[in-house]
Amino acid sequence: MVFSASRRRHNSYTLAPLILISVNLLLFLTFFVWPAIIGLAYSFTSYTGVGDAPWVGLENYQELIGDADFYAALLRTLIYTACVVPLMFVMSLGIAYLLVSPYAKGKTVARVIFFLPWLISPIIAGVIWRWLFGENFGLVNFVITELGGDPVSWQSNGDLSLMIVVIVATWAGTAFNMLLFIAALKNVPVSYYEAADLDGANAWQKFRKITLPAIAPTSFIVMLLSTLHAMKEYTYFVAVNDGGPGTENNLIVQYIYETGFKRAQIGYASAASFVLLLILVVVAVLQLIASRRKGS
Amino acid sequence: MAVSRSRTGDLPKKISSSAIMWLLAVLYGFPLLWFVVSSFKPGGELFSYPLTFWPKNPTLEGYTDAWTSFDFPGYLVNTMIVAIAATLLTVMVSAACGYALAKYGNWWLKIFAGCILATTMLPTETILAPLFLVVRNLGLYNSLSGVVVPAVITATGTFMFRQFFVTVPNDLLEAARIDGSSELSTFFRIMLPLSRPIILTLAIFSFQWRWNEYLWPLIILNEPSQFTLQIGIAGIVGANNVNWSILISASVLSMVPLVAIYLVFQKYVMNADINAGLKD
Amino acid sequence: MGISASARKGWLAASVVGALVLGACSSGSSGDGDPKSITFWFSTSAQDQGYTDLAKEFEAKEGIKVEIVNVPYDGYQDKLSQAAQANALPDTASVPSLDPLWVNQLQDLASIANNEANKINKNLVTADGDKVLSIPSDVTAAGLYINKSLFEKAGVSYPTDPAQTWTWTDFLAAATKVREATNAKYDLVYDNSAARIRGWIYTHGGTGFQLGADGKFAAPDAATVTALSEFAKINDDKVMPKSVWTSGQDPNALFKSGQVVAYYSGVWQVADFADSITDFEWASVPAPAQPTHATDINLGGKMVAFNNGDKAEAAKKWIDFVFQPANYTKLAQTNGYLPIETGLTLTYPFEKKAAQDAFALYIKEMELADPISSSGQANQTKLLLAKQKVDDALIKTELAKFINGEQDVQKTVDAIVTGLNDQIK
Repeated sequence: MVFSASRRRHNSYTLAPLILISVNLLLFLTFFVWPAIIGLAYSFTSYTGVGDAPWVGLENYQELIGDADFYAALLRTLIYTACVVPLMFVMSLGIAYLLVSPYAKGKTVARVIFFLPWLISPIIAGVIWRWLFGENFGLVNFVITELGGDPVSWQSNGDLSLMIVVIVATWAGTAFNMLLFIAALKNVPVSYYEAADLDGANAWQKFRKITLPAIAPTSFIVMLLSTLHAMKEYTYFVAVNDGGPGTENNLIVQYIYETGFKRAQIGYASAASFVLLLILVVVAVLQLIASRRKGS
Repeated sequence: MAVSRSRTGDLPKKISSSAIMWLLAVLYGFPLLWFVVSSFKPGGELFSYPLTFWPKNPTLEGYTDAWTSFDFPGYLVNTMIVAIAATLLTVMVSAACGYALAKYGNWWLKIFAGCILATTMLPTETILAPLFLVVRNLGLYNSLSGVVVPAVITATGTFMFRQFFVTVPNDLLEAARIDGSSELSTFFRIMLPLSRPIILTLAIFSFQWRWNEYLWPLIILNEPSQFTLQIGIAGIVGANNVNWSILISASVLSMVPLVAIYLVFQKYVMNADINAGLKD
Repeated sequence: MGISASARKGWLAASVVGALVLGACSSGSSGDGDPKSITFWFSTSAQDQGYTDLAKEFEAKEGIKVEIVNVPYDGYQDKLSQAAQANALPDTASVPSLDPLWVNQLQDLASIANNEANKINKNLVTADGDKVLSIPSDVTAAGLYINKSLFEKAGVSYPTDPAQTWTWTDFLAAATKVREATNAKYDLVYDNSAARIRGWIYTHGGTGFQLGADGKFAAPDAATVTALSEFAKINDDKVMPKSVWTSGQDPNALFKSGQVVAYYSGVWQVADFADSITDFEWASVPAPAQPTHATDINLGGKMVAFNNGDKAEAAKKWIDFVFQPANYTKLAQTNGYLPIETGLTLTYPFEKKAAQDAFALYIKEMELADPISSSGQANQTKLLLAKQKVDDALIKTELAKFINGEQDVQKTVDAIVTGLNDQIK
């Protein structure tokens, strides 16, 4: 034991972390790197999904750079992400805070209510929300017209229909981030709050000065994962409004799917996917830098 | 966060906290209520206008049809097997990896952290066909393990543990080292039990992910005896028709086990008293 | 020692779970060389009793069990192409469309298709020269439904005999009259589908998107372009709600609200309507002709038998069994199929008279339909034999852009032709 302990100090622990990550490393190489390399190879070909895949070099990437629809989809994706991530963050942190607070009553029932939307499949979410915000026979327009107003075009107005999807995605995704926050909030030492109480701090001060710094690592990961997730969102757009009206709200993954995979342009779709990967890497690095700067 | 109990300011706090929470609960719950209530409507009432909220002729037909439209109990068992196996493996692997990323400073670990994050960055459709080739080449086609094994690696799980272990004071680790505890033993004996809230939270996540997964199991599994719940439910959605009343009832049914698991696990997360070990 | 006892226990647990999963589940399919059972994949959200019944009779007669697997429609094509890559195709199947990836693994069904006793409509089988690749289980046709209660309330009449049908102009005038008299919301909802829009184009005298002599899609005729412009024009939130074609609103649900005068869809709605429309009376009516009397005729499931070693013979036996007139009659009746065999007397098990009438009407409509009605299907076959796979869903997307005002009709038509041809190598 003494021997191994002294040797460890020299190696500053190589074996232990290697063992700890070994399974993940193996899975990463097998189920991500290997298929990703196949996908990357496709992106340099004009593969259609059948037969051979003729090599075309950088042609797909060049075509992509000149594709105005790609930029339009990217822009729409960024707008969506900028809307949904902050909303989701505030809602899930707020709800998590209320659910662990000793003051709110009826938490068991509320907990289930906030959790359930996350279990509902997108196709069902689509029918539920069209029942509410369908522009023809939806409940909201029904109420508006009963009150003497004009029906609102929740579906055929591009910005409104984007907003509806922001609401649906927040509704459905809150539970996930909420659970992350609950775990983090439960981890904040009670002694910190007790000390603050002695100093006469109010609730908002305690939240700002104790809670937020203590859960910062979780907040960062919630931000990062929500952003990456939002940038790849398309299931709720398809389920609620089919990416509509028209193709106005075709986000980037739906664009890749519709113009690439569905039209047998596997090569082109793969190229677009790797460009998306590159964009997401940049987004992640930017967030990392931002959080570092804030931390220091 | 149970702060001193007998303070005079508690009552207004109780009222305002409860009011805000229940306002949000109503907002979140209203669409759900329509969903659950609709599962008791006969097909003819679902889309009738003017809109009605409560069913005029409540019926359990949707539920009985859903239960008999495919082998519900059999698919449920398969889904359970997949979800339990994947969850155990996911938690184990993510905890080990997240701990390594949090507590060791090797340069290659930082790169690996980036690699793990990269797994979330490709659209599923891009990776689906190549991943299928890999799984086939490994001989996992047409087996439940072909559904489970590729799903074990998750950036979310790994980073949940990483972010948690970052907040665990290094003193604890140093103290264990001084006591002569080996690195892996420290992880299993001291660190893993500390992370119980994360373990349980990730378990809830993993259960939900596997429970609701559809396309991958459909492609990998060939025999109805191995089908999972979502395959059965998707069968209700036809090429041109959707039988909404059966679909909604089947969805409600499929959610019940998840809610049960959530309530049990979440209770432990809420009751976890880990502060003792973490006090500076 | 490097790892403590509890640590080892942890890893042990993990590896046990791993071994359990791998061991318990990788048993795979039963070994070949067992012609006592074959597999049959198909996809349906409702009609499965017909095959289950036939499988029982088949097992009693031949001693071969048919394992029926209902594969959900969403993902079925993917599943088949992946199964082909894993050499795990089923023995027999009813598929939505044939795929060049596995078409060379099909058995020749000519002996079944050409058997005079079966009286199979030979125009409907998919053949490569003399080799018959698939026989459809049924045909489907597009058609018009009306809310009969609204028509009666408004006192507006409608044709019932396909030989004396109305024009789109007459129909829309009638529907508007009904809408205004009954305070309904819309004249018409129209399925958001590339196949259904073919019906619109054909009935307006256009030929739509057809393959040219060079094996590529040609620019459509002027009548098609005009028809598409007309279609966009009636998406005005009065005649038709815009949301169906631009934003994925479900037309079936809108029609069921009882606030829409008519619905253009197809024969598959009959069973659903018979079951789940209880608030009003509905009827199937002759599709308008302006001037062409046409519909879009599509094949239901395509029955195929794969060349799976010693199961091949049993597989073909099962397909043969299904298409024997006595058996096929039962299948068509139970599953509510429009038949592909002639000379059958079918009684469908619907209680509703509207449903019975609808089937009778569809059969008459198909007899009267202009030959162009089945050209969509014919194009797919031509492409398949040229080893091409073309997904025409982009027609929906491009039309949605047009209706939404993102592009004009010429650009829409050009984008459709280019998009279709891009998929042809």
